[in-house]
Amino acid sequence: MSTLETDLGTDFGGDYDRRRLARGALGVVAFLLVWEVASWFNPAYVLPSPRAVAEVFVVELRSGAMLTALTASVTHWLPGTVVGTTLGIALGVTMAYSDLADDVATPLVRVLRPVPPLALIGFAIAWIGLNHAGAAFIIAAGAFWINYYAAYGGVDGVPEEFLDVAKSLGVDTDLGLVRKVVLPSALPEIITGIRTGIGRCWMLIIAAELMGVPGVGRELYTASQNLSVDAVLAYILLMSLVYLVLDTGVKSVQNRVLAWQ
Amino acid sequence: MSGSDRRVAVDGVSKTYDGEDGGVRALADVSFDVEDGEFVCIVGPSGCGKTTLFRIIGGLEPLTSGEVRLSGEPVTGPSPDLGIVFQEYHLFPWRTVRGNVAFGLEQQDLDAGAREQRVAEMLDLVGLEAFADSYPKGLSGGMKQRVGIARALAVDPEILLMDEPFGSVDAQTRSMLHAELLSIWRETEKTVLFVTHDVDEAVTLADRIVVMEPSPGRVQEIVDVDLDRPRERTDEAFAEQVEYVRGLISE
Repeated sequence: MSTLETDLGTDFGGDYDRRRLARGALGVVAFLLVWEVASWFNPAYVLPSPRAVAEVFVVELRSGAMLTALTASVTHWLPGTVVGTTLGIALGVTMAYSDLADDVATPLVRVLRPVPPLALIGFAIAWIGLNHAGAAFIIAAGAFWINYYAAYGGVDGVPEEFLDVAKSLGVDTDLGLVRKVVLPSALPEIITGIRTGIGRCWMLIIAAELMGVPGVGRELYTASQNLSVDAVLAYILLMSLVYLVLDTGVKSVQNRVLAWQ
Repeated sequence: MSGSDRRVAVDGVSKTYDGEDGGVRALADVSFDVEDGEFVCIVGPSGCGKTTLFRIIGGLEPLTSGEVRLSGEPVTGPSPDLGIVFQEYHLFPWRTVRGNVAFGLEQQDLDAGAREQRVAEMLDLVGLEAFADSYPKGLSGGMKQRVGIARALAVDPEILLMDEPFGSVDAQTRSMLHAELLSIWRETEKTVLFVTHDVDEAVTLADRIVVMEPSPGRVQEIVDVDLDRPRERTDEAFAEQVEYVRGLISE
């Protein structure tokens, strides 16, 4: 996506980027200051200071508890995201490309679409169990719809003329058209879907672990049940940091793959 | 239909779009032939069905009745025998100039070396070697259309079918592209079928001009252009020819 900001970024070069970074840092510092001051007027079990949260973060990190929780979360987040993303893209592309598939599946999609992934917890427990696979199921459902709609929209928007050109140049099968024209043309939307899905699924681990599967979300619940607001905040911080790393990684892949835009 | 001389035979082509009151007749009994190596322009006002005719000849749209034959074979869909060049280029934005030109070649049984060589020849033909690795978004309209032409010619079609290919470039670039297209045409000895609404352009390029009239689209007259090339727009004979065709269209 070519947003105004990235355009400005390239036009104005390093100075502009530096100014942006400096302003961003200012925002973070201001936020921490307000937090710090607010913590002076509240007991630690209501609002711990930033420093206290940082200390808990370091303690949890050193003890290995964070790494254990993170590994557990990734154990269902990764397969859930991969499976949901793959199925979502496959179905989205098929339905947008084939009128037949579109007609057959549209009523089902309309009915199933409004079901929130959280509502599937019951099915996850009944069909799969309170384990990583059950949590992965919920995450996959979340990834599925995001990627389904992104891929559907992308393929729906492929200009008919691209197909005309490809046919006139000898591409004479549907598979050939999908591979050589439809997928590359819809790639920006598909990648945006993947990126959104990865982030959304990372947040979904909270919901998926609600039923008792171990992970970062589980630690968050335990901490909040113990009224350890500092630990809650430390794990929220962990989730945000992981999201930041993930999203930055995917974004750099996105920029490289879509250099033609 | 005699022998293979007739590269393109448009034979009683009619097209009716479904709709209320029996639909809209876009083309009514259109017939003309194009000889091998000939440069034919199709000219007419908007609504004369020339773009519909272009799409039918290109196999991009079905006809209601009649037949189009390429080298004697009825058109049933898009064919690599016929290279299509569109007004809006329709280059694949995710491919470089080189990748766009190579697209059709990738559908053929060619080894990588032969393919690269063919792409290089085509880029040389349209003078875009220096931009081989650029993406379309960075190119001017004229350059984009050169890529469009190179892409269509790469698979060595017998016929080049063009729909107002220079309609989106400025006048100066257009006359440069006219000269380039004519030299490509001479060099490759292709048959060219060129749709335009610009009478000057048609008289500059064509051996013959198929003049069409609207409602429903049909052939009004086929005009021979007996002028030596290169043609100068300032020549009296050129001006007379243009006047004559304009007169037909405004009748």
